[in-house]
Amino acid sequence: MLKVANISKSYGEVLAVDNLSFTVKPGEIFGLLGVNGAGKTTTFRIIMGLLDADQGEVTLNGKKIDYSVTDKIGFLTEERSLLTKLTVKEQCLFYGALKGMTKEKILKRLDELLERFQITEYKDRKIKELSKGNQQKIQFITAILNEPELLILDEPFTGLDPINIELFKKEIIQMAQKGSMIIFSTHRMEHVELFCKKIVVLLRGRPVLEGYISDIKEKYRKKNIFLKADIDKEKIKKIPGVIDVIEKSDELEVKIESSDVVDNVFEVVKKAKNLTKFVVEEPSLNEIFVAKVGEAYDK
Amino acid sequence: MTSKLNFLINMSLGRKIKTKWFMISNIILAVIIVGVINIDTIITFFGGDFDKKQEIYVIDNTQKSYDLFEQQLRIAEQTFYPDKEEETYDLKLYDKNLEEAKKLIEEDTSRWVIVFDDDEENAIAATLVSEGYIGTFEYQLISSAINNTKIALAINETDLPVDEVAKLYSPIEIDRVYLDEDKLSEEEGIETIVSTVFPVLIFPFFMLVISLVQMIGAEVNDEKSTRGMEIIISNVSPQTHFASKIIAGNMFVLIQGGLLLLFGGIGLLIRKLIGEKSILDGFGKEVTSYLNTILDTGLGEQLIYIIPLTIILMILTFISYSLLAGILASMTTNTEDFQQLQTPLMIILLFGYYLSMFASYMEGSVFIKIVSFFPLISAILSPSLLVLGQIGLIEIIASIIICIVFNWLLIKYGLKIYKVGILNYSSKDLWKKMFKALKN
Repeated sequence: MLKVANISKSYGEVLAVDNLSFTVKPGEIFGLLGVNGAGKTTTFRIIMGLLDADQGEVTLNGKKIDYSVTDKIGFLTEERSLLTKLTVKEQCLFYGALKGMTKEKILKRLDELLERFQITEYKDRKIKELSKGNQQKIQFITAILNEPELLILDEPFTGLDPINIELFKKEIIQMAQKGSMIIFSTHRMEHVELFCKKIVVLLRGRPVLEGYISDIKEKYRKKNIFLKADIDKEKIKKIPGVIDVIEKSDELEVKIESSDVVDNVFEVVKKAKNLTKFVVEEPSLNEIFVAKVGEAYDK
Repeated sequence: MTSKLNFLINMSLGRKIKTKWFMISNIILAVIIVGVINIDTIITFFGGDFDKKQEIYVIDNTQKSYDLFEQQLRIAEQTFYPDKEEETYDLKLYDKNLEEAKKLIEEDTSRWVIVFDDDEENAIAATLVSEGYIGTFEYQLISSAINNTKIALAINETDLPVDEVAKLYSPIEIDRVYLDEDKLSEEEGIETIVSTVFPVLIFPFFMLVISLVQMIGAEVNDEKSTRGMEIIISNVSPQTHFASKIIAGNMFVLIQGGLLLLFGGIGLLIRKLIGEKSILDGFGKEVTSYLNTILDTGLGEQLIYIIPLTIILMILTFISYSLLAGILASMTTNTEDFQQLQTPLMIILLFGYYLSMFASYMEGSVFIKIVSFFPLISAILSPSLLVLGQIGLIEIIASIIICIVFNWLLIKYGLKIYKVGILNYSSKDLWKKMFKALKN
């Protein structure tokens, strides 16, 4: 299990991470979220031992993270971390050897991964000759080459098209199923919702939202109603508990304070002509993120 | 961690050596070195009028100077070219006027014309006509012969006996006496020789240092700018990474230095095989004479300890420069910044190079002696001062010890900067960050 306990880090007078704690168990995919400059990369660097925390501790399976355990970790940085003058094979041999892997093992695993990501023809090509998306695939391959117990992915979907995003997702889920602990950051909340159970949202280094996504949504209370009917939206706005009504192309989205308001809205809407849709949905993580981070900004 | 260090060294060295550019540059170097060593054979092979004598037409309006001038010219030739068996000048008496003689020069611009005229004040007056400039050395020789011609004319008019005249012309053997018992007559003039030969010998060292500094800087910056450094440092400690760069860089310059020596050896072997009696034959009498003079001084015996000490000092200096290059490269965020930051290092190196050339002309200079102890410069300056006898064995050993201490300090404090620098991507507050790193 990865345990991040009360870590803090400052750069001069700027507090980058403030008393952050979380745990990731084997098989879990954990989302470390936040706006730009929230402290995500600093947190990853502390976990990887690239930065010393001013306080707090990071342990992997009860052992402080140092160079004796880094062979069990895979790391994909936000920026490209490939030596572009090398070929794909040389690059993988280099990073694989740094993880203590033998040449034979690296080449076997590389062939397997190139096959899975459908880029076998690039094995002897120089990294700089590859497209952005293929470079990202190679970067991902180097991160998972050693079948890590802990995989850290900082913005893994950058530069990828939807088909390749699916390939990445599939691989990440498979790794979690095999027991790897996975932490990843992204600005795309729909990706987080798809495979993260637990998240922490950072703002200026502090957690503003944390826990299981289901619990977070439950606690958030606010719901959305999507309806199609011939009705004046101003009429709905007047119902107590309705926060806002947004007119979309062929439907209305009604934001309500809690599920208690649903019946009141339905009472008004059912009288309208051509009622063809009335669906109550939980708010998206993106909505919660924007609301919570916005609230924290205001504070 | 040792195996990862070995891996990083092999990787770094492989990226320098297992490239087609390393192969191409060394083929070019081999061709150039072998060519330079055999340059006389190459020049002769392509042909040319090398044996042509310098034609001098003499118009003797005094009717008495030509024979004496010819006599004095041959004496001057023997003095200036003691080892030359054949005459250098083809002297011809010309019985027409100067205007006609100028036409001879127009026909062949290499010709010279000398006109002797009577002169009431100076006995004779001489005019030297040529198409363009003539060399200083040859001008001195001709000038000496003309002046001696005037003296010979004066002596002839005194009716001195022949044996007395012969005594006047015979050279005086100077018996040199040195109050300092350590001084040898053979060593007189060695300063000039050493100041010429030493900079040539240390030039490859100079080039290798430049190559070492640039190579380490480029490699560290390459890893930094691609953020590959984060992956590397998350797997090996900055100490291991730093050590791998220093060891690989120094191994590379030692391999390259060895190759340069090998190319030199091949050049000399080819020279021997293509029929020269001695390796030095054909280089010119001056070079042979210089080397013979050096060997006569007993320097050959001193080389037994001068060479190993120089090699030790050079290796330590390579390490100093590589440590500094690594530290400076870690502080910069791109190759352009590193190139600016390495300029002071290059100036220090150049300063040492020039001082080693001037050392022989400034015997006893306290400044040069003090500077010879400075790390980064000592490898260039100390050996030349040792050969010149301006410093002793103790001083050069002191330079080695100072260099070791300097390297130790660079490792101790430089590593603190390196550890912070390699993961720093901003030049904002750079010096503040580095001083903070030093304090930690």
